[in-house]
Amino acid sequence: MTLFWTLLKIEGKLVWKGMDILIFGILFPIIMAAVFGFVMSKEASAAGASMFEISYPAVVCIGVLATGVMGVPLTIADYRHRGILKRFQVTPVSPLHLLFAQVIIQLSAALVSFIGVTAVYTLLFDYELKGSWGLFLLTYAFVVCAMYSIGIFIGSLVPDQKSSNLWSSVAYFTMLLFSGATIPYEIMPKIVQWVMDSLPLAHGIHLLKQVSIGDPIQHVFSSIGILVLCIVIGLGCAIRFFKWK
Amino acid sequence: MVLTVKNLCVQYGDKVAVQNLSFSVGKGEVLGLLGANGAGKSSAIAAILGIEKSDFEELTVLGKSPLTERKEVFEEVGVQFQETNFQDRLTVEEACMQWRALYKETQPVDALLSTFGLSDKRKQLIKSLSGGEKQRLAVMLALLPNPQIVFLDELTTGLDTKARRRLWKQLSLMKENGLSIVLTSHYMDEVEVLCDHLFILREGITVASGSVQDIIRLSGQETLENAYLHFAGEEE
Repeated sequence: MTLFWTLLKIEGKLVWKGMDILIFGILFPIIMAAVFGFVMSKEASAAGASMFEISYPAVVCIGVLATGVMGVPLTIADYRHRGILKRFQVTPVSPLHLLFAQVIIQLSAALVSFIGVTAVYTLLFDYELKGSWGLFLLTYAFVVCAMYSIGIFIGSLVPDQKSSNLWSSVAYFTMLLFSGATIPYEIMPKIVQWVMDSLPLAHGIHLLKQVSIGDPIQHVFSSIGILVLCIVIGLGCAIRFFKWK
Repeated sequence: MVLTVKNLCVQYGDKVAVQNLSFSVGKGEVLGLLGANGAGKSSAIAAILGIEKSDFEELTVLGKSPLTERKEVFEEVGVQFQETNFQDRLTVEEACMQWRALYKETQPVDALLSTFGLSDKRKQLIKSLSGGEKQRLAVMLALLPNPQIVFLDELTTGLDTKARRRLWKQLSLMKENGLSIVLTSHYMDEVEVLCDHLFILREGITVASGSVQDIIRLSGQETLENAYLHFAGEEE
C-alpha cells in the first residue's frame, strides 16, 4: 500500500506541476460551462428540455476527453520512449503499477473537472438534473471507462512519441468538436450528425443526455453497445500489443 | 554462483547480437564485458535481465530464473542502463523516494546521496543536473536496494576524473563487502582497477576471456588497451 501511495503521490505532483491538465481538463470545461450558461436558451424545446439543460452532460465530458484520450496515451508513450517502463521492469514491481497510478491521477483531474462544471451549472445558473443522479453518475463512469480504454489503446499501439501526439490529438479534437461536447449535436446539419454518430463520445453524450433529462431509456442500446465495444477492443488490443520499450 | 549464464544467444531477426556467451560470476567478483559499440554487450545484459528474448542452456541469477521469478530476483539486483531517463519534472529526492518504495529493504538514502555527492541537489529537477550528476544518480539508484549483484552499463560515461575515481573507490568497497558486479566500459584504466574477469565481444562472439593479465599475455601486447584493440578488432 505504501508503494502504491508513494507512486500515486509522485505521479500526482508531476501531473499537477504541468499546466496541461489544469488548462485543458479543468479550466477550459469550466469556462465552457459559464459561456453556455450565459448564451444558451433556457426555453424548453418541443422535446421538453432546453438547450442549456442538454449542454450540461456534454460539458462534463470535456475533462474526460482531455485526461483519458490526451493525458493517458501521451504519458504511456512518453514513459516508454524515455525507458522509464524498462527501468521499472528490472525491479520487483511491475511497470503496470506506475501506469495505474498515472491513470488514477488523470481520473482525479477528470473528477475535479466534473465537480467544477457541475458547480457552475447548479450554483450560477440554477441547473437541475431531471433524471436520477445515481443513474447519471453510473452512466458517467461508463463513459469514462470507454474513453480511457480508447486512450490506453492509443498509448499501447503507437510506435513512438510523435505518433502518440498525432493520434491522441486527432482523437481528442475530433471528439471535442464533433461529439457534441462543445458544439451541440442538435444544431449540426444532418450530414454532420451522421458523421458524429460514428464517434464513440457522441454516443456517450447521447446516453448522458437521455439520463439527465430523465427520458425513458429508448434508442440507447446501440450507444451502449458501441461503448462496450470500445472498452473490449481498446483493452483487448492494449493487452495483446502493449510494448514496454 | 551469483550469476550463471550458459550458451546465451540473442537474435534480432536475421542478425545475431550475442552468440554462445557463457560465464559465471561469484560473490564479490567483478566481470567486465568489453567490446566496440554494437558488439553485443548491452544486448547480453538485457537478455540476462529478461527484457530481451534469448535462447540459453542455463540462466540463473542468485539461483533463480530472472524470467519466471522476477519479483524475488529483482529484490536483490540493481541495474543501471546505458542511458537513464526520468520522468519530466521529477526531482532527485522524488526519484529516491520512488525507487525506495519499490523494494522491501534499501540502504539509507541520505548516506548514499552524500557518498555520491548529490546531497545538495535533493530539491533539484533531474533534468537540470549535469550529465555527470545524472549518471551518478543512476548508479546510486542501482545500488539503493543494497543488491547482491549490480549491472552497470557504461558506468562512468560522462563523469569527470575525480568523480570516476570516487565511484571506483565506492564500488571497490562494496565489492569487498560481497557485492558482485557486471559492468561494461570503454575505459581500460577503469577495467584494470575494477574487473577480476574480462570478456571481449566482437560481433556477439566471445573472442577473449580471462583476467586482465591473461588478456594482455594472450594478445602479446604490452598494455590492456592495446590488447583490447587487438581482440576487439579496432586496431588501426
